[in-house]
Amino acid sequence: MSAYSSVLTLDPVLPTQAATPTPRPRRRLWSALGRALLAWPFPLAVLLLWQLAATYEWVPSQILPSPATVAGTFADLWRSGELQDNTAISLWRVLWGFSAGATLGFVLGVAMGLSPLTKDYLYPTFKTFAQVPALGWLPLLMMLVGIDEALKIILIAKASLVPIALNTYKGLQNVPTTQIELARVYRFSRWQLLRHVVLPSAFPPIWNGVRYGLTHAWLALVGVELLASSEGLGFLIVYGRQLYQLDVVLAAVVVVGAIGWALDRVLAVIEKRLLRWRVEGF
Amino acid sequence: MPHAATLEIRGLSKQYQVKGDTLPVLDNVSLSIKPGEFVSIVGASGCGKSTLLRLVIGLEDDYQGDILLDGHRIVGTSLERGIMFQEHRLFPWLTVEQNVGLGLLNADLGEARKRDAVREHIALVGLEGFERAYPYQLSGGMSQRVAIARALVNRPEVLLLDEPFGALDALTRAYLQQELQRIWAQEGITMILVTHDVEEAVYLGDRVVVMQPRPGRIKRIVDVPLPRPRDRGDYAFAAIKEDVLSEFSDRPRDELIAEPRERNAVEWQFSW
Ligand SMILES: Nc1ncnc2c1ncn2[C@@H]1O[C@H](COP(=O)(O)OP(=O)(O)O)[C@@H](O)[C@H]1O
Ligand SMILES: [Mg+2]
Repeated sequence: MSAYSSVLTLDPVLPTQAATPTPRPRRRLWSALGRALLAWPFPLAVLLLWQLAATYEWVPSQILPSPATVAGTFADLWRSGELQDNTAISLWRVLWGFSAGATLGFVLGVAMGLSPLTKDYLYPTFKTFAQVPALGWLPLLMMLVGIDEALKIILIAKASLVPIALNTYKGLQNVPTTQIELARVYRFSRWQLLRHVVLPSAFPPIWNGVRYGLTHAWLALVGVELLASSEGLGFLIVYGRQLYQLDVVLAAVVVVGAIGWALDRVLAVIEKRLLRWRVEGF
Repeated sequence: MPHAATLEIRGLSKQYQVKGDTLPVLDNVSLSIKPGEFVSIVGASGCGKSTLLRLVIGLEDDYQGDILLDGHRIVGTSLERGIMFQEHRLFPWLTVEQNVGLGLLNADLGEARKRDAVREHIALVGLEGFERAYPYQLSGGMSQRVAIARALVNRPEVLLLDEPFGALDALTRAYLQQELQRIWAQEGITMILVTHDVEEAVYLGDRVVVMQPRPGRIKRIVDVPLPRPRDRGDYAFAAIKEDVLSEFSDRPRDELIAEPRERNAVEWQFSW
């Protein structure tokens, strides 16, 4: 071992020099902050334009209420509890629909990814099914299950199932043969291969599918609530429009956007944690 | 101590189908390797060295001829036969110790013994302190050392090494050559080492197999009847090295060390 200690000290590949030179942490923090700040000018400009349009009445205030009016309406909706109630209902629907869709989508994707026979049976049908947007199924489903909760859950499930199944299938397909060969050299059983190689290797695309799936679920939810519901954020939008209360519409739209964004952020944070083995910096 | 095996390769040929054409890669290769022997293979890139190892390890069964281990045709892979691939093939989602540990997943050892073995082999390749590091945090040479540790950790009877020291600096390389030789002598493992470094081939091998390309075949087998430990400055050593090198006099040397360069994924992005 003594011979080696000299080698170690002379070894030119020390950890700091190993990868491409990374900026010092403080600098990296600033650059991350700077990049985050770049997200702000555009929405602020839109807000300013909106304010100007309201102030100078470029658009009648019945059609485009001022930001202050919308903020006031938002506060009213909050105080009356309407906003929280409708948000809770919408979130509950997404939770159930997404859970069902994600589970089914994952199972379907794994089945098609692992068994060529299953893939040959199901893939063409699945692709065709996926081409019809969630709302295209609405009329048919309304006849079959009515316009109650089941309708919404099914449509949300469908919306999240498609990207998750597709990405899971593609992820399993693209596991590099070099990795499979290594597992063969060490005589992994089928289960060990799945557990130690295939699933971890396919995890990034699968997780991508989950993120798409949740976004699609949220979009489908608002869509179906717009068309067939008497509760929820989507309903709030329709309701506001019917009463010509565009401030209610806009307040609900902002909440829908903010929650959709927040849901994706949650998944992004989990992703960063689970995929910390990937090269940092994106 | 594993009982080392006799490896008998007889009339081995292999073709690949490339866009409908048949590409002969190995042509009538015969080689008999005694138990516990150390055989080095040198040859220009593309002459089928890696393919030969793939066949011996059992990753492909579409070939002509025989590969016999102790008289039995090899079928598929086996824990008795280990390989270190030309690329390190570490799993990017596992740490250094987890990657080495995977080599023992199906070994017949208790958890405690496995942990010890992993620790010993990480120390062997000089990576103490990097047990929890992920592959993206390692240099090419460090990754290669992890792969060496993984290949050695379950002490196969036959170990195939495909250019194992290619990405290492001279000092680390010299140290690991010694360590490999020590383990080989101590455990009596049969080793086949592919290298593009003729000096390394002569330093480690009982015999040096010189291969030639298109299609890959054995050009010559050079005996290295020198006692160990060997002295690289020794006259007899230099003479054998010259002898092996003379087999390459008719082709440009750089073909021997051609290595693909990895592209940086962000090269195509604008800097802003
Ligand atoms: N899977 C494959 N399909 C087609 N051709 C291959 C394949 N693997 C290797 N070859 C070809 O076989 C020849 C020998 O390759 P290889 O065994 O990697 O050579 P070496 O290791 O000596 O550099 C090369 O011409 C290579 O292009
Ligand atoms: Mg090779």
